[in-house]
Amino acid sequence: MTSLAIFFCVACQFFLVGGQLFLKRAMHGTDRPRPKGEVARGLFLGIFLQSLWFFIWLNLLKDNNLSHIFPFEGLNPVLLVLAAWLFLKERMTVDSWIGILLICGGIFLVSAS
Amino acid sequence: MTDGPAARLPSHPLPPANRPAIVAWLLNPYVQILIGALLASAGEVLLAKGAKAPVSRTLAGPLFWLEPLGSGWTWIGIVSYVLSLLSWLYVLRYVALSVAFPLINVVHVFVPLGAKVFLHETVPPRLWMGITLILVGVLVIARPLMKAEKKL
Repeated sequence: MTSLAIFFCVACQFFLVGGQLFLKRAMHGTDRPRPKGEVARGLFLGIFLQSLWFFIWLNLLKDNNLSHIFPFEGLNPVLLVLAAWLFLKERMTVDSWIGILLICGGIFLVSAS
Repeated sequence: MTDGPAARLPSHPLPPANRPAIVAWLLNPYVQILIGALLASAGEVLLAKGAKAPVSRTLAGPLFWLEPLGSGWTWIGIVSYVLSLLSWLYVLRYVALSVAFPLINVVHVFVPLGAKVFLHETVPPRLWMGITLILVGVLVIARPLMKAEKKL
């Protein structure tokens, strides 16, 4: 695996996390009246960032074994929960941190070869 | 975020009640997380199959990254991904991101299994240990939720 591939593996995780934050922001409580543009803008930005992630990921898959690049997905839960805590002010419990660390460890083990 | 400094999000609403049992079950956001995880895993395996399929048409220069779109597998994978995205958007209406996202990580159990079964990729023996860790992690997060649901 080249260092460029590793760089792209890490970079695309940030696109994924950014995309998720915008999607959550857009969808949260859509059963209440909200300014029209707000939902559309969040969905657009979220899907745009997820698309960037998607095309980078697709090309990483072309040149590498799925089981080789998958460990990088292990960064996701930690990055995302940190982001949800920081930007969306979601309440975190000790249980959720323990669960997330277990999941991350598991993802690395599942895919590290 | 475009909405300025993040304000605390208001509490999460409950999904609509008074539907037939099966519909209510399907509309349960936690069931949707599982359905979405299965769709996303199928999508991932199909994309890997499409990306590795023999290139039917080579594209010149800067468009090389569109080559995998020449495979039908890629398109089925995309459909599966889009369905999982719709399911995910539904989940986000009702569940906090810091709860939903760790739970959706069961895809990391389904994907290596799918890669092994359908793509014949060799999966190292640590697979089972990793899968166990992920499942334990998911349970640690889901357990307080299940208790809360029972009380309702």
